[in-house]
Amino acid sequence: MNYSYPEIQDVASKLKDKDRITKDGKSILRAPEFNPLFSQLREMDPDNRSKFGKEINELKNELEAILEDMANSSADVQQIDISAPTDINVSPEKHPKLLSSIYGSKHPLMVELDKVLGIFYRMGFSAVESRQIDDDYHMFESLNFPEGHPARDDFDTFMTKDGLIAPAQTSTMQNRILKAGKEDLENGNPIAVVVPGRVFRNEDVDARHGHTFYQLEGIYVSKGVNTGHLISTFKTFLEEYYGQKMELKLQPFYFPFTEPSFEFVLSCPFCQKKGCNICSQSGWIELGGCGMIHPNVLKMAGIDSEEYTGFAWGFGIDRLVMMKYGIEDIRHFMSGKIEFLRQF
Amino acid sequence: MKISLNWIKEFADVDLTIDELISKIGTQLGAVEEYEYIGDKYKGIVIVKVVECLKHEQADKLNVCKIDDGGLVKDVERDSNGLIQVVCGAPNVVQGMLAVWIPPKSIVPSTFNKEKFVLEARELRGVVSNGMLASPKELDFGDSHEGLLEIDEEFNPGTTVIDAFKLDDYIIDLENKMFTHRPDCFGVLGIAREISGIQDKQFVSPQWYKENVEKPLTDGALELMVSNHAPELVPRLVAYAVSDVEIKPSPILMQTMLSRIGIRPINNIVDITNYMMTLTGQPLHAYDYDKVVLSNGGKAEIIARRGVEGEKLTLLSGKEISLKESDIVIATKNEAIGLAGVMGGVSTEVDENTKNIIIECANFDMYTIRRTSMEYGLFTDAVTRFTKGQSKRQNIAVAFKTLELIQNLSKGKLASEILDNNYNYHETEGVSISTDFINSRLGMKLTSDEIQEILNNVEIIVEREGDNFKISEPFWRTDIEIKEDIVEEVGRLNGYFKLPQELPFRQIKPSQKSNQLDTAFKIRDLLSAAGANEILSHSFVHGDLLKKSHQDSKLAIELNNAISPDLQFYRLSITPSILDSIYANLRSDYSESDNKSFALFEIGKSHNNVEKNEENLPLEHATLGFVFSADSKTAKKHYEGAAYYQAKEYLAYLLEKLNSPVIFVPLHESKDQLKDDKWFEQAIEPFEAKRSALLMVDNNPVGVVGEYKNSVKTSLKLPDFTAGFEVKMSVFENSNSDSSYSPMPKFPKIHQDICLRVDSEITYGKIFNRIWQIIEDEKPKNTFFTSKLVDIYQKCDDLDHKQITFRLTISAFDRTLTTDSVNELLDKVASILEKEINSSRI
Repeated sequence: MNYSYPEIQDVASKLKDKDRITKDGKSILRAPEFNPLFSQLREMDPDNRSKFGKEINELKNELEAILEDMANSSADVQQIDISAPTDINVSPEKHPKLLSSIYGSKHPLMVELDKVLGIFYRMGFSAVESRQIDDDYHMFESLNFPEGHPARDDFDTFMTKDGLIAPAQTSTMQNRILKAGKEDLENGNPIAVVVPGRVFRNEDVDARHGHTFYQLEGIYVSKGVNTGHLISTFKTFLEEYYGQKMELKLQPFYFPFTEPSFEFVLSCPFCQKKGCNICSQSGWIELGGCGMIHPNVLKMAGIDSEEYTGFAWGFGIDRLVMMKYGIEDIRHFMSGKIEFLRQF
Repeated sequence: MKISLNWIKEFADVDLTIDELISKIGTQLGAVEEYEYIGDKYKGIVIVKVVECLKHEQADKLNVCKIDDGGLVKDVERDSNGLIQVVCGAPNVVQGMLAVWIPPKSIVPSTFNKEKFVLEARELRGVVSNGMLASPKELDFGDSHEGLLEIDEEFNPGTTVIDAFKLDDYIIDLENKMFTHRPDCFGVLGIAREISGIQDKQFVSPQWYKENVEKPLTDGALELMVSNHAPELVPRLVAYAVSDVEIKPSPILMQTMLSRIGIRPINNIVDITNYMMTLTGQPLHAYDYDKVVLSNGGKAEIIARRGVEGEKLTLLSGKEISLKESDIVIATKNEAIGLAGVMGGVSTEVDENTKNIIIECANFDMYTIRRTSMEYGLFTDAVTRFTKGQSKRQNIAVAFKTLELIQNLSKGKLASEILDNNYNYHETEGVSISTDFINSRLGMKLTSDEIQEILNNVEIIVEREGDNFKISEPFWRTDIEIKEDIVEEVGRLNGYFKLPQELPFRQIKPSQKSNQLDTAFKIRDLLSAAGANEILSHSFVHGDLLKKSHQDSKLAIELNNAISPDLQFYRLSITPSILDSIYANLRSDYSESDNKSFALFEIGKSHNNVEKNEENLPLEHATLGFVFSADSKTAKKHYEGAAYYQAKEYLAYLLEKLNSPVIFVPLHESKDQLKDDKWFEQAIEPFEAKRSALLMVDNNPVGVVGEYKNSVKTSLKLPDFTAGFEVKMSVFENSNSDSSYSPMPKFPKIHQDICLRVDSEITYGKIFNRIWQIIEDEKPKNTFFTSKLVDIYQKCDDLDHKQITFRLTISAFDRTLTTDSVNELLDKVASILEKEINSSRI
């Protein structure tokens, strides 16, 4: 820019020199060339003084902007030989090396997921990961939620501008899994799949509620599957997971995609039902939802609901981990804090 | 949803202890959030007679009363007649009235669940007051604080309020999600019926609760017209007029019944409609007849119709809304007077001057009510019920019972026909089901008799032929459509805890592991063993982070209802999320040592709004993101050269461990190839092209490794020594991670260094590959080589050249090699390279 006072214009052309700025760095904002300008400023009449002062500031701002541009520019960035394993002139003892394994850590949620998956693999389930963005058909329609049905309000779903959905539950994969397993089912093999994945709820965040958490869905369909099988399968998993005998209660619930539907409640594995902080002194812990797959959901996947029946469940991995370690705030999981991560 | 156990007991026998009942409700009806015994709140509080009431000598507004508590309360100061002195400031206190007295040492009920206020005998302007006489508000019976609670029935002084108003009660808070398909359970009758059923007791609905009721006679004193212009949204519209109502508070018992479950008592008419809604789940609305007449221009008429776009309506809450065509309204000819099924309008509100009323008892389309409720953010008790899809078959019974209460409690008279606009009901077919079906779905062995009894207990109509049932929906229910609904009913009422627990039969066939999940777990193992920390960050990012990372938010999938700008966009790649957590970690005291270098990684997904899969949904790019960073102090002490090589070291380690061969090409030379790959185009944006490499497999880009642009470093406050990579998980998933094996030579190995001085422009990779090729071509038979870089050296006075030293290790499988044969080979390497790239051996 041009300055109306020749004195300032003169200083500007001296300082706006690239080599000079590179050499001086930030100290150019206090360059000695400014001194006479300030002396002059002090002697000026008030009208001129404010205009003159303003221009000095503008020059400083301009220099600052140039400094920032230069810092952000890649013009001076040195090219490196990307094919080499190390830089030039690096002493052999300082060649790149991996950190010591004592610092390493796997995320506690993933460690737990691994453990949970391991049990289900052994029980004969295969695994498919859930999607992180889906459409209305998979999240709602194929799960027997009619358009505009108030049951949709039970999930505070994130919607995208294009009308897609950040799935509020891993059930968003049910229709795909049932369709994919249909042929196998007709050949006499059950559909037995678990679906881990991230799910999203558009709700206020606090120590117990995150907008993102991990869920594990399970689906089992075969001939002659009944509600007793559901309870027993899930109980078997929990006893294996906690390594102790457990009691499991079903509380009637409503989900459009299962009939009957339940929430399952397990005897507190940390206090053997005596009452502790983890179970809020009740001796029982609510873990997730389950039920017999609604015939409409099977039909939507082309499966004969008279011949085949099945059950499905879903529970949160975050909850398991929080209880296990006594983690007080769900937000730690996605905080990216090394102080937290290295404890696992 | 709160329910009163005493109200339930008016219809159903309960012979369980409260703990047994709560546990039974939990396993056979639905989750109980909490329950509370409200009797504790009213301990010690009694009805008294005000025997004497004199003006306080020192205070105009106070009265000094002598009260008679029938001698019930112990340990309180009494005069010679056994009366108790209380100072009272209420304007309505008069001699001879019955009032409620809170004696000293008792808690004021309205403070019971907050900071408890315990009364004591204290002086008010020189006169001792032993406790206080209470207003409805202090008793938590309602909002009224203007005067004492006026008792409308005869009680003997000394009757406790607990006895007088059935306050010996439990309030049970049921989670209402499980009743989404059970509109009947939003009423006391519905819950009472279920509570009978789960106790294996026969429920009997009250006499008046039936589908078809004989219409009562009317004197026809008031004219009323009802029109339904939106029958598709208003399947039933029952209305009638009542004349000569006397507006006053409803009986205290009714008021307390409403207030204990969270509904504010207003006046007898409004309370009756709320009482009936709570009892049956059917919301009702009362209009001031004369205001409707005025609004309609001379004749009473209510019209159900769709809203007119932009039409204004002021609701009872005082809020003015601008209507939409998708709303249902109740209107007169001239204006909307109520938002149907949601909230009434202020212009026809029943108030203390109302003489005649119209009662509306309608059924509205649940989807429309839901949409309207969401649109205006109005979540009323009526909305809660209408959005469950109330039965259309109970309106007449509810309307008639309401009329009966109005007649009894306000002296009103039915003044018009009961209008039931063009309602017709098509009976559903019912559900046919067999005992076998029920047992096979539950895994039980119930007899047909048992099933019949279970269903009969909750008044489900069952026609039975042997082991086959035909079941028709009772008129209050809307959820019995398919066989599974009956299975649920029988299983639940019988108790799921009775089901035999047996695992499904399973074949020995092994289950399929997920390659994607498995590979991710392998990478976690490898990277954590290399000192790196796995993080998980959100799938959504702030627009600012995209900007700071040079990514284009126009390509990002945008949320339209995010609670916070931090969650506005789906991330375009993982790297920015990891970079975003570097600075906070460097600032925090995460480690006791002064070595502040760390490696973070995340395995996750990213999306954009361009690339679609075969389902036409956004492609999910599963990638591994990794960043290594060291603060300037640590970098100076422990690291030399560019951070790039540190990141590459990690990447090379993974690629080798997982046997995933890739080719590295300079990013600045290959950027153009990525033009059509939207994910890559964005993923490489944070990376500085001159100091980054693209990873290629079969000429396809699979990842990027490098340092970040200066501006990215500045805006995310990254230390200079920061570099990382982002690689598609498919690279690792598709590799064969089994290790390869070479036999181990038995003869001694020879180590020999070769140092080449080359033009500094020539890349290390080129030289290395060429040397290997020459060795492969020229090496003596049956020999085995390995090589290792010793260093790359550049003299400060010769920047045009660099010297690369390799250490070669050579051995043969069948003989001891001589140094000469090795030297001969190295000479050959040197001379070929001299010709080809003008290098010189040092």
